[in-house]
Amino acid sequence: MSHDYSELIEELSRGHRSRVILSKILEVCKDSVLDLSRRNITIKVVIKANCLRTALESIYKEHDLYLRTIAASDERSREGFLKLYYVFGIDNEGTNLVFEVPVVEGVKVDTISDLFRASDWYELEAHDLLGIEFNGRQMSRLVLPEDWPEDLYPLRKEVSVEELKKMYQPQLVSRVSELEVEEVVRIPIGPYHPALHEPEYFELYVRGEKVVDARYVGFMVHRGIEKLAESMKYDQVPFLAERICGICGFVHSTSYVQAVEDALGIEVPERAHFIRSIVLEVERLHSHLLWLGVALHLLGYDTGFMHAWRIREKVMVLAELLTGSRKTYGIDLVGGVKKDIDKDKIPKIKETLNALKKEFKELVDVATSVPQVKARLTGTGILPRGEARAYSLVGPTVRGSGLARDVRKDYTYAAYHYVSFKVPVYTEGDNLARTLVRIDEVFESISIIEQLVDMMPGGPIKAEKWEPQPMRLGIGAVEAPRGEVIHVVLTDLYGPYRWRVRAPTYQNLQAVPIMLKGVDLADAPLTIASIDPCFSCTDRAVIINLRSGSVKTLPIEAISRRVRRNG
Amino acid sequence: MSDGGKLDLTLSEFTLNKLEEVFIKLKRSVWVFHLNTGSCNGCDIEVLDVLTPYFDVERFGIKLVGSPRHADLILLTGPVTIKTIGKVVRAIKAMPRPRLVLALGSCGVGGGIWFNTYATLGGYPRIEKILKDAGVEVDRIVYVPGCPVRPEAIIYGVAVLLGLLQPKSKRRRVSAVEG
Amino acid sequence: MVKFLKMLSISVREGTATRKYPFESPLVTPEFRGKIEVDPVKCVGCGACTRICPPKALTLGYEGDEIVLKYFEGRCIFCGMCAYVCPQKAITISKEFELATWELEDLYDEVVHTTVKCRICGKPFTTVKFVKEIEKRIDNKVPEDLLTVCPECRKKLTARKIGSKVVGVSGE
Repeated sequence: MSHDYSELIEELSRGHRSRVILSKILEVCKDSVLDLSRRNITIKVVIKANCLRTALESIYKEHDLYLRTIAASDERSREGFLKLYYVFGIDNEGTNLVFEVPVVEGVKVDTISDLFRASDWYELEAHDLLGIEFNGRQMSRLVLPEDWPEDLYPLRKEVSVEELKKMYQPQLVSRVSELEVEEVVRIPIGPYHPALHEPEYFELYVRGEKVVDARYVGFMVHRGIEKLAESMKYDQVPFLAERICGICGFVHSTSYVQAVEDALGIEVPERAHFIRSIVLEVERLHSHLLWLGVALHLLGYDTGFMHAWRIREKVMVLAELLTGSRKTYGIDLVGGVKKDIDKDKIPKIKETLNALKKEFKELVDVATSVPQVKARLTGTGILPRGEARAYSLVGPTVRGSGLARDVRKDYTYAAYHYVSFKVPVYTEGDNLARTLVRIDEVFESISIIEQLVDMMPGGPIKAEKWEPQPMRLGIGAVEAPRGEVIHVVLTDLYGPYRWRVRAPTYQNLQAVPIMLKGVDLADAPLTIASIDPCFSCTDRAVIINLRSGSVKTLPIEAISRRVRRNG
Repeated sequence: MSDGGKLDLTLSEFTLNKLEEVFIKLKRSVWVFHLNTGSCNGCDIEVLDVLTPYFDVERFGIKLVGSPRHADLILLTGPVTIKTIGKVVRAIKAMPRPRLVLALGSCGVGGGIWFNTYATLGGYPRIEKILKDAGVEVDRIVYVPGCPVRPEAIIYGVAVLLGLLQPKSKRRRVSAVEG
Repeated sequence: MVKFLKMLSISVREGTATRKYPFESPLVTPEFRGKIEVDPVKCVGCGACTRICPPKALTLGYEGDEIVLKYFEGRCIFCGMCAYVCPQKAITISKEFELATWELEDLYDEVVHTTVKCRICGKPFTTVKFVKEIEKRIDNKVPEDLLTVCPECRKKLTARKIGSKVVGVSGE
């Protein structure tokens, strides 16, 4: 770009922050920037791979810039390159900043994992699934099994699912990778838990009773979603998206349809926005009540667990009345929703919410006054605010450490700009802060639903017609109960060309080792659960004493209950 | 399960061989182990729901245990991903005979929406052969469709497995006719 | 005062929350989506439902001379899209969820259609009812000679007709 770019920056910026950031990028990299454009709230910078790191080095210290996801895509048949899309967010302005980087096959890209620590897993995944190489860092297998063949990249377009199934035969022999560490006892936690949730595997390195480090090996639930969506049509993918996670599924399907609507410029009727917002908040209620019950169970207060789930049952019945199913609601379609909320359901909604408010307040009053609950939540699992910002964390995890980051306010979507609500933020950063954030959010959600129900407009619930266009980029972001969910979609004629899903736990799990340092072993399960992982990781624990070679198994509750009352 | 009440307790039609007698003894209380083979968690929270006061399956004596070695029945959810195959076979092998398995949800019965991906096997029917080859015999298997499975459907499935209720599903084949 | 003892009063007030299924009927709202029923009178075998079904629980396949619409309850995700797109409104959503069985075969429901054979190559290509429905819906009739021709042969026929008009090659 050789001509004067200051006019272009003026035209494209959405405010002061984006003007500053764009100027910094163009100052250091003006010869490598191939294109600059903006659509709605997304500014796209097409930049050559050799200048990417320089551009990011000039802006990574900006305090309101955070990395949300990196999507890799195989566009060799359309444009001749593999592509990397780096999606950043400028919080104060609500702008998406996307760097589109063409990558030539075989050429390595500079890593940015020392600048933005959240990019660590994204780079590993881009390598696993598409074969993009990065220099300046160590690579290892993240998503696929260890014995997956080299040079076989599932998301490349020339490889079909049948071929993949033929080329990889899963082995029955499970591999055990040993990390030789002396003088610490290694406690693997995983992968099957008596009281549910997905198989995950955490290894805690323990000296005495204090945890010194933690290692996480996961992705047991990798099912090949993104490859599957490339063979589906636009209206089938919301049902696939909903089954990414059974607890926060509607968030994923709304995020996908929002991304497609953003890419193709589809006008969604207002009533559909209201219906989506109401169902999203109902899902938030059920998810926080579920988490509260599980957290109380881990603390040993089973009465609280039972009462929380008894109260939660009312929300499940309400969800079934509104959408047709207790979970996996299945009402999202591109352009709107497929089921209406009739007038005669509104009294039932209000009745349920009133009962819920009363009973939940009672439960919280009693549960927080139980001595063991308060003592074990306070001061444990501290996440410092600087680390939370450096790792680009999201959700209640980061709102308990003092950062007011919420997609409903920052990058507002659906009907949230019609209602008034506050975002609860606590500054201590311990388990109790994260608990209180979620409790406050339940009351805010109830108030949001009441406001939405009162001002619902009439009209159609789905857009009449829309035209698919090939190769348009769309971004949809929604605030799930656990944090920010972001979907990146590249459109094609009948279905998505490339679909990238990033769930909040993916970003939050990278910070668990920090939270676990210095924590008592008995508090480890609760600390891991306090980020509300969409796959819970608490499990049966096996204690291996490395010196004597003896093996003892304990159910995880026994570790949890070996609590030492310290003052 | 302890007493009939208003429910019609008809025993299953199978001939009563020794294994069936054991099943009848098991009607006292069945201990279950929950095995998640890579599911989305929807069926898993409904399994947990079954233990909570609203549905309360503990009134039948059913208890959740922490190890497959103590279990009579395995609740299997999920489409069996490639990373969990070894662990699933080991968990089922660790159960003492008689081994009962309840395959939950559309993922467990037929692979669900993931029936044709490179990273999943496709539900219990696909892993049945692998189990046989590894020498692991499963004595009774019942399939419970649903997405997610309703807690009442899980209770119904357990009742069918233990021979307390007759299954209602029957294969139907009708010819299309003119209006 | 030990506040957490208030839990006792809450428990006493709520009483027994349990719904004693199966000795009591389950709480199912009128909106619940259970298993689907295909009406053999209204269904014409067009296959719109099979194209939208995300897990391919509904399939349309040839069995000899017949076309069979198969519904596999085991893999159904109960989304209701088939009922949403069916042009004949032949699919209804029931409230049935007690589907457990040990026989996988019992989870199949099938509707059998008789087929129309292509008058050129003799292979069956669509159902009798579908052809009749198309005739009913299209006002200016589909030319008789094309109505019973399968897609492959129709391509060749059209190509030959164009060829004969353009180049003067004698066609059919």
